Amino acid sequence: MGDVLNAVLDVARSEVAWINAFTFAVFLAFGATGEWVAERAGTLNISVEAMLTGGAFGAAVGQDLSGNEVVAVLAAVLAGLSVAAVQAHMSHHLTADQFVVGLTLNIGVLGLTGFLDSAVAPNAYRASAQRIPVLADIPLVGEALFNRSWLFYLIYPLVPACWWLVYRTRWGLEARAAGEEPQAADVSGIDVNRRRRQAIYLTGITSGLGGAYLVLAVVGRFGDSIVGGRGFIALAAVIFGGWTLRGTIAGCLLFGTVLSFRLSLAPLGHELNGDLLASLPFVVTVLAMALFATRVRAPASLARPFVRGLK
Amino acid sequence: MKAEAEVGVYYLVSIAAALLLSAALVEATGGSWADVVGALLNGSVLKPGRIGLTIGVAVPMLIVALGTVISTRAGLVNIGQEGQLLVGAAAATYVGVELGGPGPLVVVALILAGVAGGALWAGVAAVLRYWRGVPEVLTTLLMVTIATQLVGYGLKNQRFLLAPADGRANRQQISEQLAEDRRLGRLVLLGNELPVSVFLAVALVALLSLVMARTVFGFRLRMLGSNARTARRVGVSEVRYGGAALVASGAMAGLAGAVMLAGGNFGNYTLVPGFSSGIGWTGLLVALVARQRAVSAVGVALVFAALRTGSGFLAATGVERRITNVVEALLVLALLIPPALVFLRHRRRAMGLSAEQLRDG
Amino acid sequence: MSPGRGEQGPTPAARLHGISKRFGPVVACDDVELSLHGGRIHGILGENGAGKSTLMKILIGLVVPDSGTIEVDGERHQVADPLDAARLGIAMVHQHFSLVEALTVWENVALGDAGRLNAAAVRDRIGDIATHYGLGIEPDAVVGDLPVGMRQRVEIIKCLRRDPHILIFDEPTSVLTPAESEQLFGSLRDVIVGEGRAVALVSHKLDEILHATDEVTIMRQGRVTARMPIEAADAQSLATAMVGRPVSLRSERVAFRLVDASPGLIDGDRPEPSEPSRGLHAPTVDPAGDSSLAAAPTSPALQLLEVTVRPGSGSRSGASGSANGPGRSLLDGLSLEVGPGEVLGLAGVEGNGQRPLVEVLSSLIVPDRGEIRVDGRRIDPTTPGALTRARVGVIPEDRHDSGLVLDMTVAENLFLIDMDRVSDRGLIDTRQLRDRAAELIAEFDIACDGPDAALWSLSGGNQQRVVLARELSHHPVVLVAAQPTRGLDVGAIEYTTERLRAAAEDGVGILLISSELEEILDLAQRVAVLRQGRIIGEMDRVEVDIERLGLMMGGRSA
Repeated sequence: MGDVLNAVLDVARSEVAWINAFTFAVFLAFGATGEWVAERAGTLNISVEAMLTGGAFGAAVGQDLSGNEVVAVLAAVLAGLSVAAVQAHMSHHLTADQFVVGLTLNIGVLGLTGFLDSAVAPNAYRASAQRIPVLADIPLVGEALFNRSWLFYLIYPLVPACWWLVYRTRWGLEARAAGEEPQAADVSGIDVNRRRRQAIYLTGITSGLGGAYLVLAVVGRFGDSIVGGRGFIALAAVIFGGWTLRGTIAGCLLFGTVLSFRLSLAPLGHELNGDLLASLPFVVTVLAMALFATRVRAPASLARPFVRGLK
Repeated sequence: MKAEAEVGVYYLVSIAAALLLSAALVEATGGSWADVVGALLNGSVLKPGRIGLTIGVAVPMLIVALGTVISTRAGLVNIGQEGQLLVGAAAATYVGVELGGPGPLVVVALILAGVAGGALWAGVAAVLRYWRGVPEVLTTLLMVTIATQLVGYGLKNQRFLLAPADGRANRQQISEQLAEDRRLGRLVLLGNELPVSVFLAVALVALLSLVMARTVFGFRLRMLGSNARTARRVGVSEVRYGGAALVASGAMAGLAGAVMLAGGNFGNYTLVPGFSSGIGWTGLLVALVARQRAVSAVGVALVFAALRTGSGFLAATGVERRITNVVEALLVLALLIPPALVFLRHRRRAMGLSAEQLRDG
Repeated sequence: MSPGRGEQGPTPAARLHGISKRFGPVVACDDVELSLHGGRIHGILGENGAGKSTLMKILIGLVVPDSGTIEVDGERHQVADPLDAARLGIAMVHQHFSLVEALTVWENVALGDAGRLNAAAVRDRIGDIATHYGLGIEPDAVVGDLPVGMRQRVEIIKCLRRDPHILIFDEPTSVLTPAESEQLFGSLRDVIVGEGRAVALVSHKLDEILHATDEVTIMRQGRVTARMPIEAADAQSLATAMVGRPVSLRSERVAFRLVDASPGLIDGDRPEPSEPSRGLHAPTVDPAGDSSLAAAPTSPALQLLEVTVRPGSGSRSGASGSANGPGRSLLDGLSLEVGPGEVLGLAGVEGNGQRPLVEVLSSLIVPDRGEIRVDGRRIDPTTPGALTRARVGVIPEDRHDSGLVLDMTVAENLFLIDMDRVSDRGLIDTRQLRDRAAELIAEFDIACDGPDAALWSLSGGNQQRVVLARELSHHPVVLVAAQPTRGLDVGAIEYTTERLRAAAEDGVGILLISSELEEILDLAQRVAVLRQGRIIGEMDRVEVDIERLGLMMGGRSA
């Protein structure tokens, strides 16, 4: 036990550990922010995992073919959007069950990317860090927040933009209405399923960015389990956050920290059991949801499909 | 009947589209679709002994599917079968290896351990849902990864699952192999070896169909899944029935895990890393494709099992194995579309009638 | 606000011509012709199922007609969706609200507009409308916190914000007290009509049409059967046009929502049914005719003592909206008693606790405090299904919500409550199930393809009969009927009313919860008023006077 305590203290004091923590937090935030919008609109997409994976693979291929980071990111966004399009149309146009579709996409996209990876085998690449002076000098967290690749910095405008979209625009108002009371929204002239689909596309875009970030700035190449179930943690962050954006980001920070814990231990000379540690983020996620789920209020129509004429 | 013919056409078109896409994918990456199909057929049914293997793979898939039918028809979303199966297999391994006594007794015990392990794993999700309101779709999902890590940990420790050093090669993280008298027997039929668990699976299909359609318990469970409020009114306790359904589906997955272990087709009576091999996921898909009908699940399980055993022969064609996952996913998606279209049209018309009539049509 | 347009003159503000619409085999509208003129309130009368709602939905763009044209101010237009209607100046105040509870008033009012979201502009507009029409409201209040009457105001403001030339009111008074209804029609007349807008008032209540409209179009089975200025109309002619046959208003006044303001039924003076409907047994008319006749046990069929339900408690089954704002109990120390064979009518405006009360009695939520006794025995409401098992029958307001399972067969729905009756040791005896279901289907004259038909294939009226059949055949001690005739056509209303009456005669205690006074006054022997979660007054039917009732419903205790 003393071992664990020491490890935690050491990690909290290490700059590298903070870098790792924010790495994972931001990765989660890419997926979670989009999914937050989607859930406010009333959809639950367990296919975020697939969108992230697709985005990651898209980025790897894009980078390999063009040698240009921006192109790679665009490719990633496109890939994420494609997965999102399948989810959106099957669930909110063809009324197929959204969990089934999400699950199938996860299996299918994982298989597809794995299959194509062995066929295409894109090259590895690692984006460089762009240091922002002054800000990066802040003790402890400065390097972690302001000496990162440009892909990391994308999260800074993305989160407030999504907040503004949901609360300050007409689109956001209609999406929220679609997520709370789709019948009322429908009667007011809003195309509920169209808004829902659009929200899912947004998730595809942000997840594409997340996948790109993961491949290009964190890991350096595509691999089978590059996302490794962490897409589900992004989902959990939205619930943990009580369907507020602030809460969701807090959740990403928490879960990101736990995810990175294992990574940060080794260089500090600590060695706690690897497997147990690997399960820790997921255990923490489950516990966090257990603690907070009853206190929060989900959008009234979350995960309830809407067909006009049926209640 | 026009309507039925229409649906039939939808299905044909959907499946054809799925297969076409798969073929395109194979060809685009330099493989030959004809070779792939040939390998799949050989691997699943054509070559000697393969049918037995396919059935042996279908059995745990089917059992998982049956469990899924229970939880889905009660209105729950359990997508953690892969984890529940693994925990069941691990529990079965422990009992199968450590327990002393006559062979047949240990076999029964290890199967029960599998059931208990899976039930427990799903039970956690049930507790979290009914006590803390956490949606089971997420907990069961997250617990799959937790299960994988925990069992992996167990396989690194001789105290738990790891075999003693002399029973395995160095650095191999596997369990001790089940002794010969602790394995499920095999039936040899027409040159194919079938594990005895086939009979278990068939019995379960019959039992489940009966319970669902003809018993009061099954009726109330279905009520819970169709209209929870009406069910509540007549005294169906959501916690008891729903919890029972969730636990039961975990138990079935755990049973599948035990059967996989003692049946020998997976890991050769040994718990190895990656033991669950995606059987849990596929079993779940089987139930979804079979539209939650126990009897239909039999056929669907055989098809998916065929894909899997067929993929064993793919190496020779140079096409990467994971293509079968893609085919699987495409088939499922394709099969989701026709019923969705029919549902939309049919239900809308009927509901539109009564809704309009009552809302002042 | 915009005078001059659509003034009375040759060009109607809106004209529907040759409108036809079918939903599958059902003809909702058949060659309908309707003209709305500015400055006039045009009533559209018809029983439930006559087609008036569909017609309005066509005008507002929610439904696209199969044929026919729509003219606005003399020009033909396409109204393909609500946005088109809005652009043409057509607005509707909906029967079932179109408000999103989680959003604020201004957000709801802004919902459905196009263009940039400008909160300040919307708030200003709300303020303008509120002052002009005397509809005070707080723009930043969350709609879910508002009482029902205020919510209708938001609806109206939402309607008026676009300065419509044509306003449609779809059955607006079901959620209002009689006094509030008067007020509504008063403002309609004074302000809106005075500004030259055209108003369409959809209703199935004769009284309302007679008092509030200038001219009326009557519809039946999708067709227009009559059209007349209101001076030329009287209750009799309207009713006849509505149902297409001569009617005895006396006996059918419930169905026509004619309030019988006469001081109570004298026992024995019970009206005969107008024509024997199929499958009905003739009610036994007993000269002494009331509850004391039933050789009943002396304990009341149902007793509620200080039952309290607080918001957010025990009902994860879906919130029963509170009309009282947050923090106020949904049920607040409610006590009532129903004797065996007695009909207690619970009057009150929607949203004053009716739904939580029914939910408690349906074993759907557990009260926080209070006692419930059925037939003298105390019931523990925490046991699942306790009340149902104690033989409390319920005809719920929304049968799809908690009364039926659409995906199951008719037979299964008929034996939902006690499948054990047709089972042996846990196994369902399908033959017995089918046979007994067939019996019930015959007895209650349920139109369906047999006991194995899927419930969703039945019409609304027949689904209601399934509920009736099930609850009555279960021999309840007390039957809770919540808005039992809402949404039914005249024939079904008569049938249901008769069945309830017959059940009372058989000794079943009936708790009739309704926001339709006519229903209560016709059936009940005692009347109580429910307001803000408690009973604020009780009286015998003989003592009832409408004004007093109305005052109580509106908040002044007797």
